[in-house]
Amino acid sequence: MNNSYVGIDVGSISTKGVILDNNNKILASVYLWTEGNPISAVKKIIKSLELQIKGKNIVIKGIGVTGSARKLIGTILGANIVKNEITAHAVGTISIHPDVKTILEIGGQDSKIIIIEDGIVVDYAMNTLCAAGTGAFLSSQAKRLGVDVKEFGNIALESKKPTKIAARCTVFAESDLVHKAQIGYKKEDIIAGLCNAVVNNYLNNVAKEKKIKAPIVFQGGVSKNEGVVKAFEKELNEKVYVDECGHLTGAIGIAILSKKENSNIEFNLNIENIKFENKGVECKKCPNNCDIICIYKDNTLIDSWGNKCEKGDSIQPANVNQV
Amino acid sequence: MNNKNTTIGIPKALLYYKYNDLWESFFNELGINVLYSPETNNEILERGKSLSIDESCLALKIFMGHVDYLVNKVDYILIPRIECLKKHEKLCTNFYALYDIVNNIFNTKILNYNIDVKKGKTEKKAFIQIGKSLNKSHVEILTAYNIAKNVFKESKKQRYFDQLNLLNTSTKNKILIVSHPYNTYDKLIGEPIIKLLKKQNTDIIYCDVFDEEEIKNKHTHISDKVYWTYSKELLGGLVNYYKHIDGIILLTVFPCGPDSLTNEMCMSKINLPIINIIIDELSGEAGLQTRIESFIDIVNEKKKVKNN
Repeated sequence: MNNSYVGIDVGSISTKGVILDNNNKILASVYLWTEGNPISAVKKIIKSLELQIKGKNIVIKGIGVTGSARKLIGTILGANIVKNEITAHAVGTISIHPDVKTILEIGGQDSKIIIIEDGIVVDYAMNTLCAAGTGAFLSSQAKRLGVDVKEFGNIALESKKPTKIAARCTVFAESDLVHKAQIGYKKEDIIAGLCNAVVNNYLNNVAKEKKIKAPIVFQGGVSKNEGVVKAFEKELNEKVYVDECGHLTGAIGIAILSKKENSNIEFNLNIENIKFENKGVECKKCPNNCDIICIYKDNTLIDSWGNKCEKGDSIQPANVNQV
Repeated sequence: MNNKNTTIGIPKALLYYKYNDLWESFFNELGINVLYSPETNNEILERGKSLSIDESCLALKIFMGHVDYLVNKVDYILIPRIECLKKHEKLCTNFYALYDIVNNIFNTKILNYNIDVKKGKTEKKAFIQIGKSLNKSHVEILTAYNIAKNVFKESKKQRYFDQLNLLNTSTKNKILIVSHPYNTYDKLIGEPIIKLLKKQNTDIIYCDVFDEEEIKNKHTHISDKVYWTYSKELLGGLVNYYKHIDGIILLTVFPCGPDSLTNEMCMSKINLPIINIIIDELSGEAGLQTRIESFIDIVNEKKKVKNN
């Protein structure tokens, strides 16, 4: 019997799952869209992971969950570790690049920078209110230009003279882009200009005042865009590494962390036929009116959260109004 | 005015968190009833937001909500106006605009006191002013003020003593909260953060708990140019606790002017795990959780490396 560990990263846009063996080698992996329903996404992930390891002599000794829906999914799977995505990404990346010093990440709606010294995270930053320069921005601009966002990178590389595009704010970038297109700039120059704008925006907002040292690893959906990678390399004057499995590092990291928990329990992945339900209820016990999320496994309440004070601890959907 | 039934309303916001021990015992000594607004809740926040201009800081918006709660429930609402507490120093503009803002927005009677030391208007004179408008005699007022002042000093001393005790005995990670008391102790601003921190097995050290003599001039290690009294105190407290803690959280409400300057100074001069959390009226707890958790991860890892 070989011990193995499951790592699941449930993001707002995509959900990722891996199974690692004792030497952190990937035995199985899945990547799919969350589509606003993390529970069904995770059910699909588990099913696919199970298919991939079928017939192999494997026992699961740990389940780790990270990402924005980590609490919900962690409860459902009975995970032995639930951790934030910053730590998980750092651990996952260090397992692939032991000497990494800087992790750049641009995802669908958020971006981060993680600074690592001697194998530990020493600093990080996330975009706050502004989503300019993330994947969502690039795909909306691709649509406007009538280009498939997957082609963006290749088209950008054809440009010899990228157009300058205001990078501070999505709204200005967009009107600038329309203007530049109207006065006759070439499409590839505009697209390359957009890639530069994404990089400048990131470096001026998210990575503001952080010391970016090599080796640099670039992750998240936007890292698949060659144009942005090249723009980063030009701006930072350093090689920027992008991994084939860069989208899985969060899941890999949390699987490694679940291994470190040294649990003796054998985990069961059989959740396909269990009915999970989450109900939102509004606690009316004080003027805060907290929204409390209650999780049911086959109609029994297994966990609840969201209340600001202890008055909400005893809340059951039966005695409050349903949202 | 008939003193027997006079009730003073005190909004549980802004300077309440700094001076309540003084206020409470002063009014108590004078035999005046006090009604407090409740802890900040969503209703108060929403009322405050709708009564404020967009550019106000979150703490001031919350204050407006508390004042609104008290209107029509009390005879007077206590609204201090404090411009200058020490020579060559100032307070944030909000504190000397407070009286006028409230007076313009609400139709209510205000019990005001005015402190502006550089013009000779001291705290003592300000309290005499309050007492007189409540028809108390000079002797009554001064006795009450002196007793209140003592209570205030003793409670500050006790809190400082307790905190030193915790610093000496704690075996957990010690996280310093650098923030104005009206942020730290507010039910909606600081408390969720403190709860998250406690869940992460940490002990909280409060920067606003200090001994005035001890922190005198310590802010100069970070900057000798800062002239806001409360910012100076926080910087002094930070320098004072710096060597005995494991990590620092700079907690700010959006868009605080003084903090935006001093936070940058702290982050560039302090070599400890440090994060700046800015709270605005959009309450997204998920992001907060991720930030706090990963910050504590950093503190833990750094400690491990140090101990090896």
